[in-house]
Amino acid sequence: MFKELDPILHSQLRLAVMSMLISVKEAEFIFLKEKTNATSGNLSVQINKLKEAGYIEVKKQFSNNYPQTICKITKQGIEAFEVYFKALQTYMNPTDNLEQ
Amino acid sequence: MQTENLSPKESIDLIQGMINKTKNAVADSSVFFLLWGWVVFAACILQYILKNVVHYQYHYYAWGLIIIGIAGSVYLGIQKGKITKVKTYIGESIEQLWISIGITYFALYFIFIKIGYQNAFTFYILLYAIGCFVTGRLIKFSPLVLGGIGAWILAVCSAYLDYDTNILISAFAILISYIIPGYLLRMKYKKTALN
Repeated sequence: MFKELDPILHSQLRLAVMSMLISVKEAEFIFLKEKTNATSGNLSVQINKLKEAGYIEVKKQFSNNYPQTICKITKQGIEAFEVYFKALQTYMNPTDNLEQ
Repeated sequence: MQTENLSPKESIDLIQGMINKTKNAVADSSVFFLLWGWVVFAACILQYILKNVVHYQYHYYAWGLIIIGIAGSVYLGIQKGKITKVKTYIGESIEQLWISIGITYFALYFIFIKIGYQNAFTFYILLYAIGCFVTGRLIKFSPLVLGGIGAWILAVCSAYLDYDTNILISAFAILISYIIPGYLLRMKYKKTALN
């Protein structure tokens, strides 16, 4: 049977952000913006959704007198990402599901 | 980026693409290799000249140059921290490795005061080898890996040679493990930045 995909993660920009954060320790907002080619407004909205879901931590600080937003994936976020990825695999390998 | 109608295949491709984009996000550390490379190289050559040409009794004062390396590292480390937009686990591992090596250099300084400096260079060259080899493997940069291997060979050679020759061997080791790979690493990052 196909597993349900987490709607928080099953969105292009949020998934892109989570995919990057899962492979690094932490990343600045500007880095995520550069890599996703998203607009600041859209990225902010999606980051807030991930934060509200408890999937990422957002830390705001000042560096060199400039505001800096640092994002980091949480333990809950890692678990959700793993569950999401396993669910995706059931769609990619439907024969595995038939065998079960 | 759109936020709708994502197929499972597109999701997997997106995950792969984003992981690939962050994979090479380790910050350029060539400046540290060049700073320490030239400082140690200069100290070796200066000590050799003071000892064998000038015949100065306190030839080891040449190592006072490492103060430039320490001050420079602190300054560059702060500057790098300000401009780093992403912290990777590989970057963190490399940082911790070099901090450990730095502490070991200082620990060895006090150990050699007790046991004598005759073979000091052998151990210092071994530390160049470990740092360069591991960093090279982590960032997948073969000149550093080869530099590390070269330093291991030179460390073994140094154990069979006299102190004065070891000063020059240490300079050669730093040239092949820090300075040359440092310039090549800088070129690699410049090329990546242009693309």
